[in-house]
Amino acid sequence: MLRRKNSAPVKALILAPYLLILYILQSTLFTHIELLGVKPLLLPVAAAGISLFCGRVEGGVFGLFAGILMDLSYNQLTVQFTLLLTFLGVLLGLLSDTVLVQGFPSFLLSCVLELALISVYQVLSAAVLHSAPMAAAAGVGLRQTAYSLLFSLPVYYFSRFYCRVTRQGRGI
Amino acid sequence: MKDFISKKVIYIGLAAILVAVLAAVTMALTGGSAGFAAMLSEPFFKPVKSAMTSLVGSLEHIYGYLYRYDELETENAALKVRVAQLEQEYREYTEINEENSRLRSLLGFVERHEEMKLEPATLISWTASNFSSSFTASKGSSSGIELYDPVVDEYGYLVGQVTSVTDSTCVVSTVIDTTLSLGAQMSENGETGVAGGDFELLKQGDLKLSYIGDSTDVVIGSTVVTSGSGGVYPAGLVIGSVSGVAVSSSGLDPYAIVEPAADIENLVHIYVIRDFAVSE
Repeated sequence: MLRRKNSAPVKALILAPYLLILYILQSTLFTHIELLGVKPLLLPVAAAGISLFCGRVEGGVFGLFAGILMDLSYNQLTVQFTLLLTFLGVLLGLLSDTVLVQGFPSFLLSCVLELALISVYQVLSAAVLHSAPMAAAAGVGLRQTAYSLLFSLPVYYFSRFYCRVTRQGRGI
Repeated sequence: MKDFISKKVIYIGLAAILVAVLAAVTMALTGGSAGFAAMLSEPFFKPVKSAMTSLVGSLEHIYGYLYRYDELETENAALKVRVAQLEQEYREYTEINEENSRLRSLLGFVERHEEMKLEPATLISWTASNFSSSFTASKGSSSGIELYDPVVDEYGYLVGQVTSVTDSTCVVSTVIDTTLSLGAQMSENGETGVAGGDFELLKQGDLKLSYIGDSTDVVIGSTVVTSGSGGVYPAGLVIGSVSGVAVSSSGLDPYAIVEPAADIENLVHIYVIRDFAVSE
């Protein structure tokens, strides 16, 4: 019972630095390391990992904070990624709780789903709000998804390790 | 369904909505000039991001050195006879000389535009977005910077415009960003148009000059400057030079491709124009 009570602060102590490190990397180091003319997104990949391995509640909370940091790293005043990543965190957590098996193929599928939805949103925004040609915007979205997927492997191992450790802590 | 949508999930949803409401209230209170997350997080993230940007700069310097090592070695061998001269040149390329050069350029610009009030700032971090071009700079409203202030480099070339401000930082959208458009004219023939970012030109670092007439004589290499119409930008700031001419996908509207005069990718120091004399 004591372990259960203490599990939330312990999780926060592990996840907060993890989130901040990914945010700093995404908004500083990787803005200088472009591949195929695009920069990668690390926070959505991390959010997919936590949702898949820890379920809808932790996935939603992690998605909420990852979304706030995504909006910050995009230099924008609006909160579209806060809402989008929270929703996706809960959705992927629900799928994980019901139909998805917790393995690398499912994780990769979750990452593709999350990154693809973000790209679709960005492509449509660029096309509708800034008259960007759909094909060119979709190309950027595809390359962004592909580049971001390169980071799925380290994130997968961290997420799996984190959930194993915290589940033991909860006595599950 | 009850199992899926538990109380905790509802609380998370409410938290996300609360964040959205707070952001909307903050934007309303600040007149759309700052987001609440940025205002809360800036005291923590500004020094961390500055340190990371500095570290990345050092790493890029080392990488550049290693990458060009063979080339430098060959060049060095050919120039051995001029060692003394090279040493002199090396000294000239120290950081202090670069800084002096930058300040001298600025001084020249300031002397030519005494009516302008400039606020120097440094670049902290670039946006992570692949769909826009903006960066965070080190000064904010406490230094007198306001929303929509124009931003130039040390040579007076137009860099962009302030599109959000917090107390100690501001976000600058560059001239190649798709959200930016401004009145412009070609200095050679006085033809006017609207300069602004274009998604297809964004990745190559160019912008376009639209609404130019069919009969306009566009000369490659022509200098494009701000027209000053609207009073947001001072007239005569150099935006860039024409590098090509194209026609829109509809085939009806010709436009000029403009290469920015400011070295957008390698910006370090910028100057925010806080005030200027409007001449219309």
